[in-house]
Amino acid sequence: MTRTSPARTALLWTVTIVVAVVMIFPFYWMLNTSLKPSAEVFASPPTFVSSQWSLDAYRSLFATRSIGRYFVNSLIVALGATALSVVLAALAAYGLTRFFPRGATTFVMFLLFTKMLPETLLIIPYFQLMSDVGLLNTHLALILAYSSFALPFSVWMLIGFFRSIPREIDEAARMDGASVLQAFVRVILPLARPGLVAVALFTFLIAWNSYVWALVLTTDASMFVLSVGIANMVGEYRVQWNELMAAAVIAALPVMVLYSLLERHLVSAITAGAVKG
Amino acid sequence: MTPRRRRRAGLAFVAPAAAFLAAVIVFPLGHAFWTSLHRVRGLNATFVGLGNYVRIFGDDAFWHSLGVSFAFTASAVVLHLAIGLALALVVNELRVGRTALRILFLTPWMVAPAVGATIWLWLLEPQFGVVNYLLRVAGIIPSPVAWLGEPATAFASVVAVDVWRGVPFVMLLMLAGLQTIPVEQYEAAAIDGARAWTRFRYVTWPNLRYLVVVATTLDLINTIRHYDIIGVMTGGGPAGATEVLPVLIYNTAFRGNRLGEAAAIGVALLAIVLVLAIVYVRAARLDDDKAAR
Repeated sequence: MTRTSPARTALLWTVTIVVAVVMIFPFYWMLNTSLKPSAEVFASPPTFVSSQWSLDAYRSLFATRSIGRYFVNSLIVALGATALSVVLAALAAYGLTRFFPRGATTFVMFLLFTKMLPETLLIIPYFQLMSDVGLLNTHLALILAYSSFALPFSVWMLIGFFRSIPREIDEAARMDGASVLQAFVRVILPLARPGLVAVALFTFLIAWNSYVWALVLTTDASMFVLSVGIANMVGEYRVQWNELMAAAVIAALPVMVLYSLLERHLVSAITAGAVKG
Repeated sequence: MTPRRRRRAGLAFVAPAAAFLAAVIVFPLGHAFWTSLHRVRGLNATFVGLGNYVRIFGDDAFWHSLGVSFAFTASAVVLHLAIGLALALVVNELRVGRTALRILFLTPWMVAPAVGATIWLWLLEPQFGVVNYLLRVAGIIPSPVAWLGEPATAFASVVAVDVWRGVPFVMLLMLAGLQTIPVEQYEAAAIDGARAWTRFRYVTWPNLRYLVVVATTLDLINTIRHYDIIGVMTGGGPAGATEVLPVLIYNTAFRGNRLGEAAAIGVALLAIVLVLAIVYVRAARLDDDKAAR
């Protein structure tokens, strides 16, 4: 790298900070509004910091709305989809890389195809089929829907991980008398742990953040997930913006925490596909 | 193991996922095609052949929506790419704080689009929104603007929110790409006395070109299919100014209760995405020998 002058460094940092402020400001405003008392929300000019900050909006949010229920619903469907797609993806990716290396490539093409299907096309049959079998307003319907588009991507990512584990390791385990399944569970899975963590995290985030599926597949307010419950509050006659932003904090915070803890895993997983090709 | 037992063992691993995907993707997709050939009223479906397709292609609403989709996708993708690449070049030059910055910059992309859109509804609120306040203080607008109330500003607003959400992803890809460029190439360029632009033109760009093509197609595919932001912010209004195809599909199916027509529009959208997908596969050159590596 070439040596950078102080002026150049200052310029680079200025640009970076300005852009960072623009990117992050909406989140600051969300937090700021959520901490304001109702009267101050509509103050003109708006206050950027306030001595009145309190958790009142959160208290009345929990007291007057089913936000706790939405949170639990989001958690159930996200964890359910994660468990289902990690298990299925790990089995499939291992089977493909070890037993059908040629089939794996064809399968990857199919997986890429499914990854490109428009959600709004698939929600039409989902809505029809789920109402036919009486699964509207159930967690299961959402778990199936989220797994359907998380699974192809999970298999795709895990194929990469399993390919990087040498076959000799499987063979050594088999020589020691392990069955195919034992070799997979006891030897290969522990080695693939970073990949499994990335896939699990990715599925969880996709399911947690998803909106249009839940919008269509749940009509009963007690089955709403956070994203739907929050978007619904916008349509109310007189929007309580501080409570609405408190709800947004509750939806966004778990994502931000998970992400900053596991950033390395996630970033390498996201970029691997595109950068390596 | 005999080849036959190997095959069986392999199938046992692959079968659960294959059966699952058949049930939750292949079958619903087939069902969507079936629906697109029927007029659906409650539980009754009447076969109408290509009637739904004839109808949507003869309907101005479809062509209008297609135009909005192209305008929205093109503006958003160009801005994602331009800003994302520029930002990656800047952040890549910094010596400290790169990881912290990456986490910070990626936040808009990590948070649910529906939630991000809700936050923006408050920022853009005509009377009490902070965006109007800041722009007025800065002297950019004389009086408050109802951003989502007028066709032109509503379109610009949803593009802006999509850019806010989409830039981080492109930046991340570009940053990863920049870090794979061998330092020796820059050193060689420096010895030759190459200036910043020349280094970009002859070292950075040739190394990054492939990734830019891949990122562009991926981003096109993702943006043209995206529903959540516009669905939450405007629902397609005002006067259809932001009614991109996914929003038109949703509105036709679940507001207009015309599932058959909606499915037909969905199939048309799928066709567009597939054309883009073919470009992507060509660009990524996902052929046997490379994938096997």
